Amino acid sequence: MKVELTAGPMLRGAATIVAFALIVVPIVIVVVAAFSPNDYFQFPPPGLSIRWFVEFFGLQTMRSAFALSIELALASATIATILGTFAALFLARRHGAIAALLQSLFLAPLVFPTIILGVALLLLYKTIGMPVFPGLLLAHCVVGLPYGFRTVLASAQALDPALEEAGQSLGADPLRTLFLVTLPLIWPGVLSGWLFAFIVSFGELNTALFLTGPGVTTLPIEIFSYLQFQGSQLVIAAASSVQIALIVILVAVIERVVGIARITRAR
Amino acid sequence: MKSAWGWFLLTPPLVLALVFFVVPLVYLFWVSLHASSTSELYGAALTLRNYTDVLGDSFYLTIVRRTLGVAAVILGLCLVIGYPVAYFVALLPVRRRMLAILLLLFPLMVSNVVRAYGWVSLLERRGVVNTTLRDLHLIDAPLDLLYTPSAVVIALMTILLPYMVISIANTLAALDRRYQEAAQALGASPLRTFLHVTLPLSTPGVASGTLLVFLLTLSAYVTITLLGGPRSKLLVSLIYDSVTAFQWPRAAALAFVLLALALAFTGLILALLRPGRVQGAAR
Repeated sequence: MKVELTAGPMLRGAATIVAFALIVVPIVIVVVAAFSPNDYFQFPPPGLSIRWFVEFFGLQTMRSAFALSIELALASATIATILGTFAALFLARRHGAIAALLQSLFLAPLVFPTIILGVALLLLYKTIGMPVFPGLLLAHCVVGLPYGFRTVLASAQALDPALEEAGQSLGADPLRTLFLVTLPLIWPGVLSGWLFAFIVSFGELNTALFLTGPGVTTLPIEIFSYLQFQGSQLVIAAASSVQIALIVILVAVIERVVGIARITRAR
Repeated sequence: MKSAWGWFLLTPPLVLALVFFVVPLVYLFWVSLHASSTSELYGAALTLRNYTDVLGDSFYLTIVRRTLGVAAVILGLCLVIGYPVAYFVALLPVRRRMLAILLLLFPLMVSNVVRAYGWVSLLERRGVVNTTLRDLHLIDAPLDLLYTPSAVVIALMTILLPYMVISIANTLAALDRRYQEAAQALGASPLRTFLHVTLPLSTPGVASGTLLVFLLTLSAYVTITLLGGPRSKLLVSLIYDSVTAFQWPRAAALAFVLLALALAFTGLILALLRPGRVQGAAR
């Protein structure tokens, strides 16, 4: 009996240590490798240097991929969050079959195999002659839409409808009610939706794989093609660390602005 | 007035979802039903040949079987490792549990190409694992760890593991402890309590974790390519190869074979685990 009681917790503790190690070690290795002074990564590192970061920002292709990823994430997160907020406000108080169908439609890109969406969009774009950047932007808006939608929906449903009704009965039109009553109250949901959409766009691979073009490449795709065609060199570790650093900053921002509870429940 | 406002809210997101999500998929399906063409994106003749070719060719069937095999192993490992970890996390006090979940969420936000690269630098011939083993004089020549199906399984399993842990941990943490206490008060051993009370009540988390891991495994092209190399291709690699060879109808048919696998598996999991029967599971 006593064995049984202690074996369970010990097994769980051991599994947790192994799991966290397997999840975290590959990310830590990348960051450590980025500060290598040598041409090849040695473990433990013989010293520290920022030469690979200098090289990363010196490579024109890497720099422009980084800039494009930032622009794309800013624009697509903003569009996805605005549209997601619209959809959430529309659906927050509606029930029934059509509302359920619309809700599944807006959430679908979350679980849909995005690689299929990438092929489908590429084919559509080729047929209608869509330029590269707007095409990529719209794809990232579709992928980011569920994040904006879901967090705002949760906030909007938690809202007391009497507050909006009070605004309207005092003579405010829907637009004034939205800006003066609803938005200030659901603001944390909107903001965390935007940050999630930004993060998803910034690391997105499966649609960008098909939709980037010559000279118009995102940082994750640039890292991928560099790894494929020039091998794993430490400038990739620096590029990856830049990616990781940006996510760390964004998570810290979410934590400061809306609190840790909202992050852990948002997915 | 009220309905005009409703349409104003609904139209923009609906147009985006229809024009850039539903329409491209319908169009892709339409293309998959056409013959290939050397000059156009697809030929004029309607045909089922793209599907019969794929399903009748032993090369494609081998790849489909390998894809399902790899996905099954990844899923099994995620369940076996993920469940005890989720149990551990769910029993932590609130503040520490949130920290643990944040620590699990953070890797999910880092791009998969970065996480796959982490595994490449661990497993490659001059990677951390090989150099460490050589420094310890355990091996003379570097081991070929990269570009194997096992490399794909290990990397993808650890990349997707947080989804499984978070899904199960959230369900377990929301469980009413009184169920377990009631079972134990009635004389059930801890093992019996787990098998007959805790495990059945956690099926919603198990189901959503399982679906996430399986669906994301199917489309993880970048991880599969970086760790599997040219010899360990999976279904998603064939879709990519067909696109780069401009074989649009073939690529479209393969995409729908992948989608059919995803839908069949989703239906199977929902029918087997019936997550909806657990009360309060609709979250």
